[in-house]
Amino acid sequence: MFTKAIKGLTCAVVGTILAAGTPATAEDTIKIGGIFSMSGTAPYYGQVMSQGAQLAIDEINAEGGVDGRKLELVIEDHKSGNTQAAVTGMNRLINVVGVKAVLSSFSGPTAAIAPISQDRGIFTLNGGGVSPKMIGVSDHMFHNRSMALDLALASVAYAVESGHKRIAQIAIKSEFGDSAIAAAIEAAERAGVEIVASEQFANDATNIDAQIAKIRAARPDVVLNWATTPQAGIAVKRLRDIQVNVPVQSMEWTSEDFAIAGDHSENIFVVTDYFSASEENEWGKHFHDAYVARHGDDPDFYAANYYEAIYVIAELISRAHDAKGKDFASADLTEQLWADNSFKSVYGGTMKFRDNGVVIKRVALLEVKDGKTEFVRFIEAAAD
Amino acid sequence: MELLLPLFLNGVVNGAHYALLAMGFGMIFATTGVVHFAYGPVYAVAAYLTWWSVTVLSLPFLVAMGVGIVGCAVVGMASYVLLYRWFLRNDSPPFIILVVSLGLLMLITNLIGVAFGTNAKTVNDVTYGFYFIGSAVVTGVQLWQVLALVVVGLGLAAFMKWTAYGSYIRAMQDNMLMAKIVGINTERVSLVVFGIGSGISGIAASLILVKEGALPHMGFLAVFYAFLAAVVGGLGSLPGAVAGGLILGLVESLGVWRVSSDWQTTIAFGVLFIVLIWRPTGLWKGY
Repeated sequence: MFTKAIKGLTCAVVGTILAAGTPATAEDTIKIGGIFSMSGTAPYYGQVMSQGAQLAIDEINAEGGVDGRKLELVIEDHKSGNTQAAVTGMNRLINVVGVKAVLSSFSGPTAAIAPISQDRGIFTLNGGGVSPKMIGVSDHMFHNRSMALDLALASVAYAVESGHKRIAQIAIKSEFGDSAIAAAIEAAERAGVEIVASEQFANDATNIDAQIAKIRAARPDVVLNWATTPQAGIAVKRLRDIQVNVPVQSMEWTSEDFAIAGDHSENIFVVTDYFSASEENEWGKHFHDAYVARHGDDPDFYAANYYEAIYVIAELISRAHDAKGKDFASADLTEQLWADNSFKSVYGGTMKFRDNGVVIKRVALLEVKDGKTEFVRFIEAAAD
Repeated sequence: MELLLPLFLNGVVNGAHYALLAMGFGMIFATTGVVHFAYGPVYAVAAYLTWWSVTVLSLPFLVAMGVGIVGCAVVGMASYVLLYRWFLRNDSPPFIILVVSLGLLMLITNLIGVAFGTNAKTVNDVTYGFYFIGSAVVTGVQLWQVLALVVVGLGLAAFMKWTAYGSYIRAMQDNMLMAKIVGINTERVSLVVFGIGSGISGIAASLILVKEGALPHMGFLAVFYAFLAAVVGGLGSLPGAVAGGLILGLVESLGVWRVSSDWQTTIAFGVLFIVLIWRPTGLWKGY
């Protein structure tokens, strides 16, 4: 009797442990991977991107999920652009976690996981990287942010429009920086203006003084600042420190760049994807307010891109459910995207994915003034 | 030629920064035998304590800098007392101590992120001017960096030459066993060395805070530059640390005079490898 009781108790305990330890089945939860920069030199991006994505997932789950199935975000850290970490993370998301889709970020990591996306048929959506090297590698990889050439065309177009003839540029030595530098040179050639200096520095450089000195010696009348946070702010601070006071056109300018550049945050223009929470854009305003309520900060376009990306994936999952049932494969999301490549955008209106997998978005011109970035207008300079 | 002067001056300024770091790092290694890679995050601790003292305690910058220097000296001494000393007492092989120091590097770096957050910290209220030297512009903070090297270098040289602890340190660097035999309390001297070496890095860190701001990982590359400058100059040599730092700074800066700055790190380290092949034990002999 005692033995039976012990056996019964053991079975109950083991059963309880197994039940508690067993992850939710595919029937219950659809897992979406996020390969973000959660540590290293630029954890800011991972923070805002994951916050945007998680907010969307929480909203969708609060409404009952996608056709009754909850979504779950599983994050892997590529440590501010480490491609090996990204590949490891991608493999873990596919082989261990069993994700149906992956959100990627940064050019290098996204380019690194593209072959895996292709081989394994994993639907991958990038909302942060801008390198053209990410394009054409995987049939299952898409991008809901403008590419380097789009941004470079717009930035050079604005420089030319402003009467500048001598353009200098500075970027981090990375996949991202290389792409931006090359795209700007191509855009400048098209526009018939001179690039007088193209300087790059290591992501973890202890100083960038030599690069800044070379830019000063080249006597530019505008500097294109392709560096990302926090180096974008450091570059401007060092430029102003040695009296290079010409306009700077950055690709982004975050609160951290404001903090670093301090009083030097003037005469800076930002040519970038732009998220605005205007009254006319009801969904965008809802996102803005929900994000502020949860995190206390205004969302930037990175947060908006990944928030939007989750809704794109949710829509595709819903379509895949209808077409293939609950056992759909990740590659079915790709098929569903091409069935109708237009989606509602948190930026307002609809967005459409081009044949190369890159979404068409307008690039905005912002001006950094009085400690804020103010929207000026949109620049229509998208690459074909 | 217009570019040469600003690159030279940048090289001197950055070299002064590397030299300061090399002095402290080399002193710790040459005296205790510990390859103290956690020197990097200890340096970062100084920047964060200075930032905290300025922004939270509203202390004047120079006082805050003092807090940072003392704070990082304490962290450096604590790393010796709580960690390295145990391994040294138990005659752990050097590679074990190396692994311990790498672990401590990661630990302190992560603790900084947890304690202060991972975003950049800046002290924008500290103002400094700029000065034209021919075609170049140097800022006040860059001049402070060079001045710091001169003051600390002379101060440390005087300390090593004319104080009892200076002679103990030299004795330990020369022959640790003999220093113990003649009755030098080597553990106490090691503690002092960790304090002084870390404190020197605190001076460099506070100035970098003004120049570029602070990030949790800021010490990661700094310690490698310190290591390299100390090795090139001759581990444990004060003039060697100064020379190693300045050579590293100048090569890094002047190396991109005629070539793309993409090559900066490659040129700097390539030249330094050549120096080491020429003089494998560094340019100077230790103290």
